[in-house]
Amino acid sequence: MGVRRRSRRLAAMITVAGLAFGAAACGSGSDSAESGDPNTLEVWTRSNPDPAATYERVFAAFTEKTGIKIDYQPVINFDQQLQSRASTKDLPDVMINDTALMGSYQSQGLLKPIDPDVIAGHDQITDKTWASTVGIDGEHYGIPYSRQAQTLMIRKDWLRKLGLQAPTTWQEMLSVAKAFADRDPDGDGKKNTYGMVVPGSAQNGYAAWWGSSFLWSGGAKIIEPDGKGYRPAMDSAAAVRTVTWMKNNLFCGDNGVIQPGAISAITGTATNFQDGNAGMYLTGPYNIATYDVTPGKDKFDVVPFPAGPAGSTVLADGENVYFGARTGKTEQEQALAAFLISPEGQRLAMTGKNQPVVRIPVNSTLDAAQVRDDPRWSVVQKAYEDASEQFPNAPDFAPVKQDTADALNAIFTYCGSDVRSSLKELNDTLAGDLKDQDLLK
Amino acid sequence: MTATVTTPRTRRVRVPGKRAVLPWLFLAPGLLLALVFKFVPMGKGVWLSFFEVRPFLGDQWVGLDNYTRVLTDHRFQDAVGHTLLLGIGQSLGAIVVGFVLALLLEGQARSLKVIRAAVFLPVVTATAVVGELWRLMYYPTSDGLVNSALGFLGLGPTPFLDNPDTALWATMVMGIWMVAPYNMVIILAGLAGVDRTLYEASAMDGVSLRQRLRYVTLPAIRPAIGIVLTLAAIRGLRVFTEVYVLTGGGPAGSTEVWMTRAYTLGFTRNDIGGASAASVVLLAVTLLLTVTVNYFRKRGDVR
Repeated sequence: MGVRRRSRRLAAMITVAGLAFGAAACGSGSDSAESGDPNTLEVWTRSNPDPAATYERVFAAFTEKTGIKIDYQPVINFDQQLQSRASTKDLPDVMINDTALMGSYQSQGLLKPIDPDVIAGHDQITDKTWASTVGIDGEHYGIPYSRQAQTLMIRKDWLRKLGLQAPTTWQEMLSVAKAFADRDPDGDGKKNTYGMVVPGSAQNGYAAWWGSSFLWSGGAKIIEPDGKGYRPAMDSAAAVRTVTWMKNNLFCGDNGVIQPGAISAITGTATNFQDGNAGMYLTGPYNIATYDVTPGKDKFDVVPFPAGPAGSTVLADGENVYFGARTGKTEQEQALAAFLISPEGQRLAMTGKNQPVVRIPVNSTLDAAQVRDDPRWSVVQKAYEDASEQFPNAPDFAPVKQDTADALNAIFTYCGSDVRSSLKELNDTLAGDLKDQDLLK
Repeated sequence: MTATVTTPRTRRVRVPGKRAVLPWLFLAPGLLLALVFKFVPMGKGVWLSFFEVRPFLGDQWVGLDNYTRVLTDHRFQDAVGHTLLLGIGQSLGAIVVGFVLALLLEGQARSLKVIRAAVFLPVVTATAVVGELWRLMYYPTSDGLVNSALGFLGLGPTPFLDNPDTALWATMVMGIWMVAPYNMVIILAGLAGVDRTLYEASAMDGVSLRQRLRYVTLPAIRPAIGIVLTLAAIRGLRVFTEVYVLTGGGPAGSTEVWMTRAYTLGFTRNDIGGASAASVVLLAVTLLLTVTVNYFRKRGDVR
């Protein structure tokens, strides 16, 4: 009898242990122990450890000021994590992420609509900037937080050595790139330098992200508003001309104009500017801090993107503050948003020893160059204010961007390809993407 | 009287019952873990493949729409070709290389043990690290390891990963490099079991090296080859990390395989339903392939 009881007890213990283990494993997936506390906001940003340190400083200042606690989660694979949280129907209270994702999030019902008037300090954000958070139904779904525009990083020591000026047109940019490749600007006697860094891979849509400034400056659009919807515009004469120019001169032109392996490079692997073997890079201003260390602050300059046939219009993007749907902490969320866009909050996020998380402040009382005491930022701010264009934010742009990147990558890979027919094909694909969203009119 | 009869009977019934239950109890923790982490997610994946997945708004039943969409998509059809080429090439290459390595490194000498450990290293290294390593080795100028070696032979630098004609083959070479040592270990175990007297006897009969391989070694390590083939059938088609790290499916989609396409669909385009359907199709094909290989292996064993 005693033996049987003991064995039964053992069996019961094992089963209970197994169940407990299983239950614990289930629970850890949707852990948000503090989500019940009304005075704690769960905030997500898509950040590496370095910019996350900047956010931590900002949130600490907010907590000190208002007493509202922040449960801060820097998430690198943001969208995958967000999808799994969405399936538990318990979203983070506040998210700070790319402007271009607004349409996608809104179409999935992840965002709370926002009335700009209830956010304290809303009038310090310009109407143009506010306009970039209007969704497909005319309501606002985000609060602008940080903006940026692409500019050209260029090695000024190389320019000086070769007796060249910073380029102001595409043609000049091309000759500078050729000179950087052929005339040994680093003076080591070897032909091991390249003109321009290009992240040309289709992965994550990089080719479209980098190429869009060329498209805008060439007078082309990817999709255009059309009545209440959108229509694809990649078969326009301007698009054909621009893409043909890029293919013939950058990807299929002289050796060394762009770095080797550009066609499969993403921003993470296109480190040639940092490594000191490429002289130009059209990219966002968040890299300025990185390049101040290597190649060095005295070695490079920030200049506007050289003008194409239709002027110099570059890709603008940035981050918005989003409120998760159905979180029930609206007041605290609004307080945080008000702090984030206030001069104090923006200033904190722009300075410090870590990577800044606000590049161009959305608060119009601030000036990026003044706050940072760095005149190079005025180039970026001017590019954003005068001549920049965002990806359309109302539709779910992710499929459009990915299909555009796939097509551009293929055109640039096959030098013998027919640009016109490839872009026609892309246009049909884009029409399909828009139709899927009921936006094709 | 009756009482004395019934007691042993109930006992006899109860004892085998307990015997049957107890092993399951011991298995329970493992089964539960498998259930929670494997079978439930798998079932969920199959379930989701019939829906337009909208995690927050609630999923919508679309029947077989996801399947027709995936199977008629020309990008997926291209990916099938790449997947088959890569899967078959990589598996066969890894078996051949693994076999050669096993023949070369069979033995008890201490130096051989060190070399075997060194050769085995790629298997225990994270695929992401291996991918990064090979990306550097394939660097398209003479600075890259492979291209500088080619330079010695007087061959110009080749852009392995940037040329759509070579990218898939370059990926395949890396895959073989990664998997071959694993096969080597299994085949080595098989080789250790080969009866030495057979070698001696065949040597006395004066057979050539080729004949010895064909008529002595290969038949003797058939079970090992069977295992290696089964593993290859399971692994071959679900190739993902190698491609994702090395080329991301490019250039111009020339290395896009089934799983990278499913990944793009699911995570870049937010079409979880379509991605689930694609994964279920792959699961079905893999299952079929594994069962087929196993069937032929068993039939061969019986014969």
